[in-house]
Amino acid sequence: MTTFVFATGRYASGDWDSAPLVPPNLIDSVARYTKIDVAPTGVIVDLASTDVFDYPLIYVTGHLPFRFTSAERSRVQTYLDRGGMLFVDDHNHDTGGQFYKTATEELTKTAGRLSDLPNDHELYTCFFKFPDGPPDTSHELNGWGDNLVHKHLEAVTRGNRIEVLYSSKDYSSEWGYHPDTKRFLAVDNTKFGVNIIVYALTR
Amino acid sequence: MSTPLRAERGPVIEPPMSVTDAGLSGARRGAARSVVEWVLHAVAVGLVAWAWWRSGHPAPRGGVEVRAQGELRAALVRWTLGEPVARAHARFDAVPDVTTREWLAALATTGTRVTWDAGGADALPATAIDVERVADPRGLVRVGVAAPAGARVVLADRLGGIDSVVAPHGMVGFRMSPPVGGVTARVGGTVASAAAVDSLALRRIYVVGTAGWEAKFAVRALEEEGWTVDAHLLVAPKNDVVPRPPVVLDTAHYAAIVAIDSAAGGEHALIERYVASGGGLVIAPGAAAALARLTAGGAGAVERGALTLADSAPLRGLTLAPVTNLVAGAVALARRDALVTVAARRVGAGRVVQMGYTDSWRWGMAAGDSAAAYRAWWAGLVAAVAYAPVIGQGTTVTADPAPLVATVERLGAPVALDPVAAARRRTLPVAWVFAIVVLALLGEWASRRIRGVR
Repeated sequence: MTTFVFATGRYASGDWDSAPLVPPNLIDSVARYTKIDVAPTGVIVDLASTDVFDYPLIYVTGHLPFRFTSAERSRVQTYLDRGGMLFVDDHNHDTGGQFYKTATEELTKTAGRLSDLPNDHELYTCFFKFPDGPPDTSHELNGWGDNLVHKHLEAVTRGNRIEVLYSSKDYSSEWGYHPDTKRFLAVDNTKFGVNIIVYALTR
Repeated sequence: MSTPLRAERGPVIEPPMSVTDAGLSGARRGAARSVVEWVLHAVAVGLVAWAWWRSGHPAPRGGVEVRAQGELRAALVRWTLGEPVARAHARFDAVPDVTTREWLAALATTGTRVTWDAGGADALPATAIDVERVADPRGLVRVGVAAPAGARVVLADRLGGIDSVVAPHGMVGFRMSPPVGGVTARVGGTVASAAAVDSLALRRIYVVGTAGWEAKFAVRALEEEGWTVDAHLLVAPKNDVVPRPPVVLDTAHYAAIVAIDSAAGGEHALIERYVASGGGLVIAPGAAAALARLTAGGAGAVERGALTLADSAPLRGLTLAPVTNLVAGAVALARRDALVTVAARRVGAGRVVQMGYTDSWRWGMAAGDSAAAYRAWWAGLVAAVAYAPVIGQGTTVTADPAPLVATVERLGAPVALDPVAAARRRTLPVAWVFAIVVLALLGEWASRRIRGVR
């Protein structure tokens, strides 16, 4: 059985490593809730390197302006063509912010136009059930950032498969805590992260 | 005869002949002419009578007719519609087509001895072709051509040339899209032709395993090759990704099952029954222990692949758990060096393929231009075992799959022709008979007119 390794993408611009606690937290959740053979630690993979092909799901986040180098753009295009999936989360939870503006522009240039993902998409039901679509984050509910509760995630799809999943909900902040803290939560807020990983592994 | 007298002036005067001499000479000439006229008349009447008789009593003549291939068709028409021959010998510089071969065979049944030989030792290379449908949603066919080792094989269909390769060991195979109007394989002067006359009824594919890259990319590869796939992927003890509606594992619904890992163990009884009833099964290394009663062998110690996964040899870059200790009846289908990578066996009415690559998905992701080969590889594994009942389908294509064999079968082995017998028999053409008759009658008529006899 091939072990699932959680990979965080490193890119030349911006702050790719702004959410270092997200990978171990999601790895913990996957191990906790599923039978998926998951590696205990994640890896960091350079988006311009051929190593990306060893990790068909890559998590990308940041606060700062986001640009691919030409090598990164070319590599990511090939990666998506061959079946890879990018999960990009705006750590600013701000649709007017620098990351959103530059990342959506760059992703459109690289993969195609982002569009709203319907809230009845199988991403929301493939493991845990989220009948109302993407779960809200505390940052949204507290009115930080753009003071909006984003009703949809955005995505670039090929056929019925998601190639790029883009979130303005700041899950990087929502999930950025030590896994041991999870026991103090009434509801584990990383469950949607498990759905993203299960979706990538099965669709 | 007396010498003519010449006068001083005046014309030459012939001396008068003796009445007795002139009478005797004229009588003899008249008798001779009568004989000649009678002979000419008899010849004309005889030839006409002979021609009339031959028209009603055609009989083989002795001797041999030798015809080269270029003039054979015209000779066949003459031998069939005109006068038969005792022996017809054809000299082929290429294997004859079906029409010529069957025409000669039919001629042999009418009393003519038909023999043949080849223009040279290598003039007629033995060639055979076979076309069969592959269990593949795109209707692919597998073409096998047998030809002399080192010979160049030119493959074509009605639309033109398809490929041209050298058969290194006397055999060459092609896997290709459905041909238009049958396939021909030309080797030198031999053209073998065949058509895929059946189609296959294809069901769905059932993939069972734990959620992971191997299962995901196997499903994706098969779907991109045109298969409809139902995946049962185990995510958690009480949370599977399952097909809707629930599956019924039988050959009426599924062409093959792909078992990725130990998750298949939960359905091993159903899978065993499915295979025994004729279904196909592909076993990945992770599922070998769970389906031990169906495997072609054990899963050996894991060997890491090459450091880089090269397009030229992607399988060398994959991690391998070789198939070891093959069970009785199992055969190795592929190897990496001395290690068996793919093995097959029969179980009941079904077929099982066991492969040893644990991370074939890396081929699909990491090997650039050979991603299509990765998909074809997975489709090939499934096609090797898939239950695909044949549906008869008519064809108008004239097949001649082994023309040289058919020629020997229909006309016998080639026979070296005796040089004496090979000399062409001189026949009297009808035109010459007509000319002789006309000349004989004209001669008789002219002679009688000169004699003053009507």
